[in-house]
Amino acid sequence: MQYNRRNFLKTASASTLAALAAGAPLSGFLASCGAKSAATADTVILLWMAGGMAHTDTFDPKRYTPFEKGLDSQRVLSTFKAIPTALDGIQFSEGLENMATLMDKGTLIRSYVAADLGHILHSRHQYHWHTCYEPPQTVAAPHIGAWIAQELGPKNPVIPAFIDIGQRMTVGEAEELKAFHTAGFLGSEFGPFMIPDPSSGLDAVKPPAGMSFSRFERRNQLYTELLDQSPIGEYASDYQKESFRRSMEQSYRLLKSPEAKAFDLNDEPKESYDIYNTGKFGLGCLMARRLTEQGARFISVTTEYEPFMGWDTHENGHVRTRDMKKLIDAPIAQLLKDLDRSGHLDRTLVIVASEFSRDMVMEGRPGAEVLHQVEQPDVINDIKNYGMHRHFTDGCSMLMFGGGIKKGFVFGKTADERPCKTIEKPIRIEQIHQSIYHALGIDPQKHAVVEGRPFYTTPDGVHKAELELFGG
Amino acid sequence: MYYRVPRSTWYRIVVRVFLINFVLLTNLPCGYKLFFAVLMSNNRPTFEMIKISKPVYYPSVIKALLAVAVVVFIHVSAIAETIQSTEAEQAIVATERWWGWEFLGRLHPLLVHFPVTLLLIGAVMELATLRKFQSQLRPGIRWMVFLGAASAALAVLFGWLLASSGNYGGDTFVLHQWTGVATAVLGAVAALLLWLIRYRHTYGLILVYRGILFLTAMGIFVAGHYGGSLTHGQDYLIGVTPWAPQDEQLAEIAGGPTSMNLDWVSFASASDSLSAEQEADLNIAARTILAHHCYQCHSSDKSEGKLRLDQKELVFKGGESGPVIEPGNAQKSELIRRITLPAGHKEAMPGKGKPLQERDIELLKLWIDRGAPWPEGASQGVFKEAKLAPRKPELPAATTGLSNPIDRWVNAYFEKKGIKWQPIVDDRTFLRRIFFDIVGLPPTPEDLQQFSADTRPDKRDRIVEALLARNDDYATHWTTFWNDLLRNDYTGTGYITNGRFNISDWLYRSLAANTPYKQFVMELLDPNESSKGFIKGIEWRGAINSSQTTAMQAAQNVSQALLGLNLKCASCHDSFVSNWKLDDAYAFANIFSEKPLEINRCDIPTGKMADTRLLWQELGNISKDATVKQKSAELAELLTQPDNGRLYRTVVNRIWAQLMGRGIVAPTDEMDREPWSADLLDWLAVYFVEEGYDIKQLIYLITTSNSYQQPSMSIENPDMINSMEFVFTGMLKRKLTAEQFADAVSTAIHPVYPISSLKYNPYGGAEQYQRANTFVRASLVQNDPFLTALGRPSRENVTSVRDGQSNLLQAMELTNGELLNETLAKGANSWATHYKSSDELIRSVYRQILARDPTDKEHQVAQGLFGDTVEEAQVQDLLWAVVLLPEFQFID
Repeated sequence: MQYNRRNFLKTASASTLAALAAGAPLSGFLASCGAKSAATADTVILLWMAGGMAHTDTFDPKRYTPFEKGLDSQRVLSTFKAIPTALDGIQFSEGLENMATLMDKGTLIRSYVAADLGHILHSRHQYHWHTCYEPPQTVAAPHIGAWIAQELGPKNPVIPAFIDIGQRMTVGEAEELKAFHTAGFLGSEFGPFMIPDPSSGLDAVKPPAGMSFSRFERRNQLYTELLDQSPIGEYASDYQKESFRRSMEQSYRLLKSPEAKAFDLNDEPKESYDIYNTGKFGLGCLMARRLTEQGARFISVTTEYEPFMGWDTHENGHVRTRDMKKLIDAPIAQLLKDLDRSGHLDRTLVIVASEFSRDMVMEGRPGAEVLHQVEQPDVINDIKNYGMHRHFTDGCSMLMFGGGIKKGFVFGKTADERPCKTIEKPIRIEQIHQSIYHALGIDPQKHAVVEGRPFYTTPDGVHKAELELFGG
Repeated sequence: MYYRVPRSTWYRIVVRVFLINFVLLTNLPCGYKLFFAVLMSNNRPTFEMIKISKPVYYPSVIKALLAVAVVVFIHVSAIAETIQSTEAEQAIVATERWWGWEFLGRLHPLLVHFPVTLLLIGAVMELATLRKFQSQLRPGIRWMVFLGAASAALAVLFGWLLASSGNYGGDTFVLHQWTGVATAVLGAVAALLLWLIRYRHTYGLILVYRGILFLTAMGIFVAGHYGGSLTHGQDYLIGVTPWAPQDEQLAEIAGGPTSMNLDWVSFASASDSLSAEQEADLNIAARTILAHHCYQCHSSDKSEGKLRLDQKELVFKGGESGPVIEPGNAQKSELIRRITLPAGHKEAMPGKGKPLQERDIELLKLWIDRGAPWPEGASQGVFKEAKLAPRKPELPAATTGLSNPIDRWVNAYFEKKGIKWQPIVDDRTFLRRIFFDIVGLPPTPEDLQQFSADTRPDKRDRIVEALLARNDDYATHWTTFWNDLLRNDYTGTGYITNGRFNISDWLYRSLAANTPYKQFVMELLDPNESSKGFIKGIEWRGAINSSQTTAMQAAQNVSQALLGLNLKCASCHDSFVSNWKLDDAYAFANIFSEKPLEINRCDIPTGKMADTRLLWQELGNISKDATVKQKSAELAELLTQPDNGRLYRTVVNRIWAQLMGRGIVAPTDEMDREPWSADLLDWLAVYFVEEGYDIKQLIYLITTSNSYQQPSMSIENPDMINSMEFVFTGMLKRKLTAEQFADAVSTAIHPVYPISSLKYNPYGGAEQYQRANTFVRASLVQNDPFLTALGRPSRENVTSVRDGQSNLLQAMELTNGELLNETLAKGANSWATHYKSSDELIRSVYRQILARDPTDKEHQVAQGLFGDTVEEAQVQDLLWAVVLLPEFQFID
């Protein structure tokens, strides 16, 4: 596909030059100031609810129907009670008490409409959410984190610009997950720094297992000296060698930098660690907080996608959703509180999102119903049939906090009766991405030229940020 | 009306030089002395030091020379700039006004240097005396600021006069104008405050004054920059940097300006009328220039000045101010007048982007002078297209030592370019190249020893032959390249829902058997069960975009991988980077579709059904209502016929690029671009067909040439690789691929992959594999983070050449990645038990890994690592350091 990426990629956004402004052309610098909207965020944390989080059982509760034998499936909209939030008249579902107290700090989007991609495959929708393009594509589409990494670079030079926490690539559908956990044609330079397990996150940024720091230093010194001694003149001016040498230095700097401590959760006071420690996801939130404090650019923390696990509730949905809420509620709330307390929340955009929602009887969306994948009896006699087991794309909840987002605001609305679909202010992935770029001050028309044609961050570059989400 | 200002450039130079020295000298003791004090000090300059009260440090000879050099540089650059700007101004069109105003106006570029120098030096000195306002520099600063402010006002006045002569306009001009005015105002305020301070010496006032002075200095930078942009062109300053913004759409169009390719000199001299063919060529060349430089604002998307240059009638019709072309008379054509105006002139074209090159302008003139021929039905699009038919140019005669046909072509190329042949590389370099290129492995020390000892004159040919005969190693290595190109992998999207098929076994066997390429392609296009994966594409579950149906994927992948052209744009809408239309793409895709395809434009049905045809109808026709099987058979037959020069040029170019680091055409997916030697490419393609589509024979011919054995080229700027300006002198230095690196570590140190990781086993059972191989080759394992980091692509899309650049994630994988470090640890273990003395060990490490002895210094450095004993950890660290040396990482 590419000989060398740089020749194909002339990123259009003038703000690329901003990075070079130090001692570099004034015109580039000024142009970048002019073209960019003022950024309201420097860092993005995406908290990914992998597998399809039912809106009516989480952030958009409807009429509650408790479980009883002989229950009519059609009657069930929510399987949990609603609880009040810090915002008058706005309710969450039971089990999200901690997050509910913070609803005055951010915006709740209740009208996210996922794409209609036919017979549902989670990884295709996740691909679409993360790249803004429907798979397959003729070229490898970059993850939103890669676009951001490519445009803004790392915030702190020793913290990788795009960090992905919590997803193992050994699960079912892993190949499909890999297809979007990538910088695609932007080049692996901007790809995700993967930390599948946050509790061993430090391993990713410390000398190899069993190697002391002093040995690591010695080894590096040996390398530099041998490099100086080797018949290197022949290679001296080659760009490949040059970039190789540079990247080796960079890696050495990261591995020995004090900031690498941020990856070490053992460094966290026990009290705080325990609040976060609801599981791998909770610890991921903790790491995200620590990395944000040290200057991360884009972090994704996932509840981890694995077919039929996590939020992918094909059966026993009620019980499993309760467990999932236990997993996320405390750490997300704590993350927001900690960032708020340290002042980082002002410049950090925190997003809670999922690829689509779920419903008990409706598969796909009204009007475009697709082949369902779960047999749901008309009459429920077993608790395992009590829950949101089918995929629903026409009304999903999403939360945004910090980074210039409105506080105590609800955007959009879904119907109170089945189908509980979006009835006000539908918002799609293109606008979500543009809103994220808007917060970061990235040109909505940003694109790369790949194989001779322009490829925009959002298809054709025509979409706009939803400005109503911002302010106050 | 044009007129020349009677004014000598010399006069201006004298004035300029005088002024510079005036500025510097009048401010003694702070002018020259200031420079010298800074330059000559033995310490880093500090603010204290600049105070003249401190003793000036006396210079060493070098520093004195440096100081002189600075002064000389200031003079030389001022003189050069004067000459340039004078010439530029002389070309400017003048309107009829009293010449005096204009004359004064034209002093503006000269005058601006006063405030620039004075205020900047003033600001610097102010900065230097921040601690103490009443320093000894103060009188100097006062002069600087007062004179600077006054001259700034004068410069603005003169600038206004110049602007009112009417030759300027545009965003840059407006920015320059107003930043200039603002700076002058700020300067005046600063001067006023400074004057006030004499009477009212308060801290606050000083603070405000200083702030404004520094603001003024910044203003000078900005205004000066825009002024420079006006004089020298928008991207003058950053144009030379690697980050210069480029007109990405046009810059990437295949082929570049075709005035480069057209032998238009012959047109210029032809006194008779042009032949039909010449007219057509000239027309295409002219339209290509228009497409590259003018379409951005003058075509269907945007018609500034109501002018469109993309269609015949509209070109001759002209814009709102009348026709732009007067056929037969270039001098009177508005178009020519506009493109020859100096940059910065408000009527100069192109208004955006780079000015036209002299050559392009000449060609447009020629075209118009020749009556602007535009043959009816000139079917050729405006983007350059390579010719389809094969061509066999006559081979140049062999000269001494150059009998290989490739060398004879390269010799002709070298002669044209004035390049001298270099001695061929030594045995060690050659052996390493040839091993990696043919079997993907490094030579062992024994291989090298044996080869060096061989004294037969044709030993290089022999080793190539021997390596090519290692069928399994050859297939194992080349399977990597073909997997990338045919987007075949052991794992990937689609498999989960049975929407994808693997062709690994078919591919391996075809390579091992060296199946003639014609048959190879026929089996891909008209597949059997084992080769259908390429055409079947990848099917994800659910609904997909109409440009991503498997039939359209097949059309795109066949075009890109086998024909070196991009059909992806055209599968959604008419392409704007090539001549391919939506209809073409659908007609081609229809061949692979069981149901007739309806044409969709940008995923919206048009109601029109697609035709069924090849991209080039001269190759033949496909039955319209036949089954896919039948259409595929026809396609396979038609596309592989020897008359399809495109197919064979594409493949020989790809093989060349694999061996040489860069194709004869680059990028290899854009075969419509100009090759650096069309003769060589065309000849090779025909040779390939005549030799029975034999890829190994082609590799043999290339690798036994002197051209392959020339010293390698270093490329400083990767943009140069695909540039039209690329000049071939030998292969490019190449980084080992992920697979080559892993296999090299496996060969020299310890197997990287266990037998259990084998994803495709051509030998059937594990035991059989192990009997034939000492370790598991990386091309046969599943992609993993290590290989990904080192550049193995996810094979979801066609990848024809991998990225040669390194990055942090890759370096992290090498530095602390588990796989490499564990492998090295295992290797270290056996090394440490084997060698008791560090001296022996170091020698052995160098011999095994780099196939040479360490130099004394290397030995000494490595020795420093070890104490009296040989510890495993130390060995591991030494191994690590050595495999990361460029000498190991690169093919030289």
